[in-house]
Amino acid sequence: MNDREIFINMIDDNLNEMSDTIDCLYTTSNFRVKNKLLNRLRKSMSNISMLTQGLRNDTSMNNPQPSSDRLFTLDELSRYNGRNGNPAYVAINDIVYDVTGNAAWGGATHFGLTAGTDVTSPFASCHAGQPILSKLKVVGKIT
Amino acid sequence: MNQTSNSCSNFSTRLETVSVLVHRAIDAIQQKTIKKRNLIWLELTGCSGNIISLLDGANPDFKSIACQLVNFIYDNSLMASEGEAALEKLFSMADGDYILAVEGAVSTKDNGMYNIIGRWKGQPVTAYEAVKKFGEQAGHVITVGTCASDGGISAARPNPAECVGIQNLLNRRVIKLPGCPCHPDWFMGTLAYLMLFNEPELDARQRPLMFYSTLIHDICPRRPYFNQGIFASKPGEKTCMFKLGCRGPVTRVDCPIRKWNDRVNWPIGDDSPCIGCAMFGFPDKMEPFISYDTT
Ligand code: SF4
Repeated sequence: MNDREIFINMIDDNLNEMSDTIDCLYTTSNFRVKNKLLNRLRKSMSNISMLTQGLRNDTSMNNPQPSSDRLFTLDELSRYNGRNGNPAYVAINDIVYDVTGNAAWGGATHFGLTAGTDVTSPFASCHAGQPILSKLKVVGKIT
Repeated sequence: MNQTSNSCSNFSTRLETVSVLVHRAIDAIQQKTIKKRNLIWLELTGCSGNIISLLDGANPDFKSIACQLVNFIYDNSLMASEGEAALEKLFSMADGDYILAVEGAVSTKDNGMYNIIGRWKGQPVTAYEAVKKFGEQAGHVITVGTCASDGGISAARPNPAECVGIQNLLNRRVIKLPGCPCHPDWFMGTLAYLMLFNEPELDARQRPLMFYSTLIHDICPRRPYFNQGIFASKPGEKTCMFKLGCRGPVTRVDCPIRKWNDRVNWPIGDDSPCIGCAMFGFPDKMEPFISYDTT
């Protein structure tokens, strides 16, 4: 099975689960159960939005190839700090990503990290195995 | 902008959760199907903001908790006794059945000597000793607020007293209610749930899902502005505060629904960005709290 099929299967699983959850919602009047079911619906929705984003960008998770041949030195990267008109870029495993409009990078900062830097090691310790990079736009490579 | 949508059943159901739980627990106590539990509340290395926040609870309020839900055995700010007489009440619970609520981190430097919570039989009692002693034996431990849950402001750089969250010192499960301060509903709902049904469903970081399951950003009334790319350039503007460094997209809790001070308002509703006070890593990892000139 290729990555695309895996994404589609996961979306189907989530849709099936949502349909079951909606059936359950019709039958319960218990507020706690309702609360739980609504939470579950929201979780499935956020799973689906993550999976469709992943499908849209590329099929390869966390291992994308730079779509641009643009090369950056670390010094050049530091100019893309998300301030005064500069976009917000970060480098992970020598690939440069655009995080300018990424919700988790409010004010071009994220959990004590700032844009314009190499964040390979904090990324590995916090997000290993999560399909995050496939959602980001690749803008180049580190030389 | 500050109104919570009443037509959304997710919002309205969630708003009722705490009052339904507390009143159901109080009814069960009156009908003797469950027992009143003893509650010990330790204020350790912190600002005591969580007990103040609890006093601000509304529907249910603090009085219903203290008079009808639990036997409130010990809290140094609220109890009438003082000095050794107060500590006597605390230590009288040593082998008893109780639920322990802790606010504030624990200072660990020099065997905890930077935070003495009282004197017992002439000897100083450190926060460190109190947490070890009463934490290991409690029926349940609830960490109330960010300092107790994760070190919080007390453990912020450079952390001279070497403060840590409660879990670092206890070899047992604790239920975490981060937030600076903890919303009264989060505590009261968790307490009532524990008494009625035992432990509520928790996430991977031991937070009750009934309060901590959703990102602020996902239920923020300003989300349509985010989606349209309409951003505030300074506090006070009525649009999305992403460019000012809003931490709503990384903070899981239900402030937009529940709001504060008797459900009057909340930070984003008052045009200032979320600073992520209920998120692990606060405050160091949530700084800067405000950013200007973001592209
Ligand atoms: S970034 Fe902040 S203000 Fe904007 S929608 Fe998200 S939570 Fe609301």
